[in-house]
Amino acid sequence: MDTTAHERPRVLLHDPTLRDGQHAVGHQLDAGQLRAYAIAANAAGVPVVEVGHGNGLGASSLQIGRAALDDATMLTTVRETLTSSRMGVFMAPGWGTAKDIAAAVRHGADIVRIAAHCTEADVTERHLDVVRELGAEAQGVLLMSHMAEPRKLAEQCALMVRFGAQAVGIMDSAGYYLPADVTERVAAIASAVDVPLIFHGHNNLGLAVANSLAAVDAGASVIDATARGFGAGAGNTQLEVLVAVLDRRGVSTGIGLREVLAAADIAAARVMKAPPSIDSTAVASGLAGVFSGFKRPVLEAARAGGVDPIDLFLALGERQVVAGQEDLITDVARRLKVATG
Amino acid sequence: MAADTRRRVAVLGAGLIGIDLVDRVHRSAKLDLVLVAGRGQNSLGLHRVAELGYPTAAGGIGSVVEAGPFDVVFDATNADSHAEHWAALRPTGATLIDLTPTGLGTVVVPGVSPHYPVASRHLNLVSCGGQAAIPVLHAVSRHCAPTYVEVVATGAAASAGRATRRNLDQYIDTTSAAIRAFTGTEDVKVMVNLSPARPAPPFRVAITALADGFSPAHIRTSIAAIADTVRGYAPGFEVTSLAMGSGRISVAVQVTTSGRRLPHHAGSVDIINAAAVLLAEQSAAAL
Repeated sequence: MDTTAHERPRVLLHDPTLRDGQHAVGHQLDAGQLRAYAIAANAAGVPVVEVGHGNGLGASSLQIGRAALDDATMLTTVRETLTSSRMGVFMAPGWGTAKDIAAAVRHGADIVRIAAHCTEADVTERHLDVVRELGAEAQGVLLMSHMAEPRKLAEQCALMVRFGAQAVGIMDSAGYYLPADVTERVAAIASAVDVPLIFHGHNNLGLAVANSLAAVDAGASVIDATARGFGAGAGNTQLEVLVAVLDRRGVSTGIGLREVLAAADIAAARVMKAPPSIDSTAVASGLAGVFSGFKRPVLEAARAGGVDPIDLFLALGERQVVAGQEDLITDVARRLKVATG
Repeated sequence: MAADTRRRVAVLGAGLIGIDLVDRVHRSAKLDLVLVAGRGQNSLGLHRVAELGYPTAAGGIGSVVEAGPFDVVFDATNADSHAEHWAALRPTGATLIDLTPTGLGTVVVPGVSPHYPVASRHLNLVSCGGQAAIPVLHAVSRHCAPTYVEVVATGAAASAGRATRRNLDQYIDTTSAAIRAFTGTEDVKVMVNLSPARPAPPFRVAITALADGFSPAHIRTSIAAIADTVRGYAPGFEVTSLAMGSGRISVAVQVTTSGRRLPHHAGSVDIINAAAVLLAEQSAAAL
């Protein structure tokens, strides 16, 4: 980055409100909601607006939840509204394929994030290559990153850079980290790669903003944040709060506070039934290190199976389930029921 | 001493799948392991195979053609290389059993099609997820016409080698196509997860079919019967849950290993390799 001594350090805020937020509403955002928020985010100067099914391209399924709109409709709807913001999409190999990536780029995706579970970066090789060939910006992110040690994460990020990723980083998919955990991990990755670093927080332990700040201090320059924290489980790092916090910290985001507050108000009014909250199950889910997107299916399975959702989250955490393994939830609930009578 | 009637076999590829195949072929009374071919002198897998005392060559398909002719060649490399391997082996008269997810040869799932396809010398085994899901889906579709089928395969990270990881798209496409062919259902979705959990979880395949007007009792009986058939060659195959109701049939299958060298969780490798060796042995019987 071409910062001089006089310029404030810059951080790029990447906004997955219309992707991660889908988890909170069973992937049911409609075109009017996508349009309303995308217009507001674009007007606020949010640099990247990410859109899609909660688990990204190709993930609409019985397993993870069927989206109200198909990928093409979601992308074209948002694309039409963006004049300055770039459009981002997310895809995990195994859920989506190169065909989904090609379609997304055709529909105007500027940035394609390829995701892998924290130790599985080598599954991104093929698809990072596809993104580069299509001429979009290729980013690589590690999901459920609390399950791996800092050194391992650094090694996996370096691998993604070798595969062509132009930015790499980690997602705290379970909302498990404390700020010191983030500092240690981001610093380890920063010493292993020379591309911009990404951090994506969740708020199960009330630390998403603090963790994001720790990430910036440790060298991350792409931070994910969503309006009102709209996102899976207890929600994400709250965008408008982070803009204010970074401003106080002397870090520039290029986003105006009044404009982002207005965008967040539109999100609150149009996109969500209620803003995310750290309810009891969200705390248990964070402590158990379970993927935030499991909240709705866990609550449903606990109700149907007659078990305590907190017990169910803890049992899933013991099995170290990862995103995509939703099929295990009812099985584990049933076993829990048998075990507890 | 009677003449050796065993089939001359070569294994192409010395990754996770290839190394386990070597072990199985060695133990088969009907198969004679003549060559294991990998690519490059630095292949760790090839070194391991050599250390185990098997004949190896580092020239890939070239080495196999040179040391031929073979009765059976297993392709345990990767989907991108397979077409070239078939082109090279086709004139030699060998039967090529493809364990990569190309779907190019005759697609075979022994649990469903127990008779060896004598007419074809180019066989494809779909994928590990296909080998686990298709018998169950075939049993289901005998009793109803699903409008939608979804399969989610979750394997332990440690059970998926580099080729598998690079071939996830082909895995999804080939498994989807085979499910369409075996069930007649057009709308099919396949997903794959690799789990980093420790200890590594066993290979699991969740299968869902949407259908109306089925008899749960018939489906239950059919699935139990096909599970027995699959256990005939892959003893670690188990239906761990079966739920039916409101237009939906949900089945979970778990596969653990029966081989000697494979860790307990690597049922994905087990089921496809067991199917491959079974086919090779049947090809001997079909002579």
